[in-house]
Amino acid sequence: MGALGHFLERQGIPTTSISLVREHTEIVRPPRALWVTFELGRPLGIPDDPDFQRRVLRATGELLERTDGPLIADYPEEVGEEADFTGWACPINLAPQATDTLAAEIDRLATWHDQAVAKTGRTTTGVSGLDMPAAGQLLSRALAGDLPPAQALKEAVDDLRAYYLEAASAFPDPGTARKRKAWLWGDTLFGRALLDLQPRLAGSDDPQHRILANLTLIPATERHRLAKSQP
Amino acid sequence: MVKRLADMPEVEASHLRRIECPTYEDTPALPGKPLAERRVALISTAGLHRRGDRPFRPGDGSYRVIPAQTPASDLVMSHISVNFDRTGFQQDHNVVFPIDRLRELVAEGVVGSMAAVHYSFMGAFPPDAAEPHARHLAGLLKQDAVDAALLVPV
Repeated sequence: MGALGHFLERQGIPTTSISLVREHTEIVRPPRALWVTFELGRPLGIPDDPDFQRRVLRATGELLERTDGPLIADYPEEVGEEADFTGWACPINLAPQATDTLAAEIDRLATWHDQAVAKTGRTTTGVSGLDMPAAGQLLSRALAGDLPPAQALKEAVDDLRAYYLEAASAFPDPGTARKRKAWLWGDTLFGRALLDLQPRLAGSDDPQHRILANLTLIPATERHRLAKSQP
Repeated sequence: MVKRLADMPEVEASHLRRIECPTYEDTPALPGKPLAERRVALISTAGLHRRGDRPFRPGDGSYRVIPAQTPASDLVMSHISVNFDRTGFQQDHNVVFPIDRLRELVAEGVVGSMAAVHYSFMGAFPPDAAEPHARHLAGLLKQDAVDAALLVPV
């Protein structure tokens, strides 16, 4: 991000930026940066809080008046942990069962995904161009040893991840985003499938498969589950 | 809440520490008009694009165009990294791409006007791969009379 500040400002476009990782910004030294302490992935702080977001955006824009860069200003507001008032315990029993399949799990979530779309008016799925059953089939085939090109697999997996988390947000007792992510990785056949797929990709002759396995399939925060999943 | 890397869970902090940051000669911060007279473009590095546009790939330093009137329901994210939260974006695109907030600041008179077109890169780019695209983008921004770019990471 900081690099773009250099590139554009050198071409005559004044820039200002939000910084999520102060240590990175201190090295890259873009012309202007507002450092925020928010979670990665949430540069404006809080979803569905227009006033908060507007204050962050305004503070970012107001840095344009300064020409004493490279500068990093510290944004004063912080975001607390998402409050959890629920007794989230997967109320609709989506936990995998011995006889269950990935296809059945995907199918069972469809009604909850419909609820989520009705609530927000949108979905962020649709990168791969596949519908969710087809994305699940691609993943199942990969698990059976028929590895598709890494990019196709990555797009299908990202769509499924969005589908699961959007669906879970519409559960009767949805809990926090953190709990929903823990559910995805700990309690679903989809999460299990990704953990099982990782060593297969890591052992592929295709370097793109290995990049997917080692960097862009399993979040750093979930990689501790890998050891447990190995036979 | 994320603070300094030292305050973060070690597994996240060590991932962030491993990211190599480029260094540059300082770039002078250009002077300009007051914010209330500027035309502002959003430049995201969240790997955003319209559904159906080419998804981002590893090493991709190019950008995607997001016209100001793009409905939120058309926006998707194909960033290659899995190490940031996406549930915020799933709930409200403005927490990543604050297009509605920018529109409101224009309506309030805080910002002069907003660009006709906004842009997204995919932030895991090698800087050398992005630089020619950024140079080209600067020309496009000038054509749209943009005199301020708000760079929003993810």
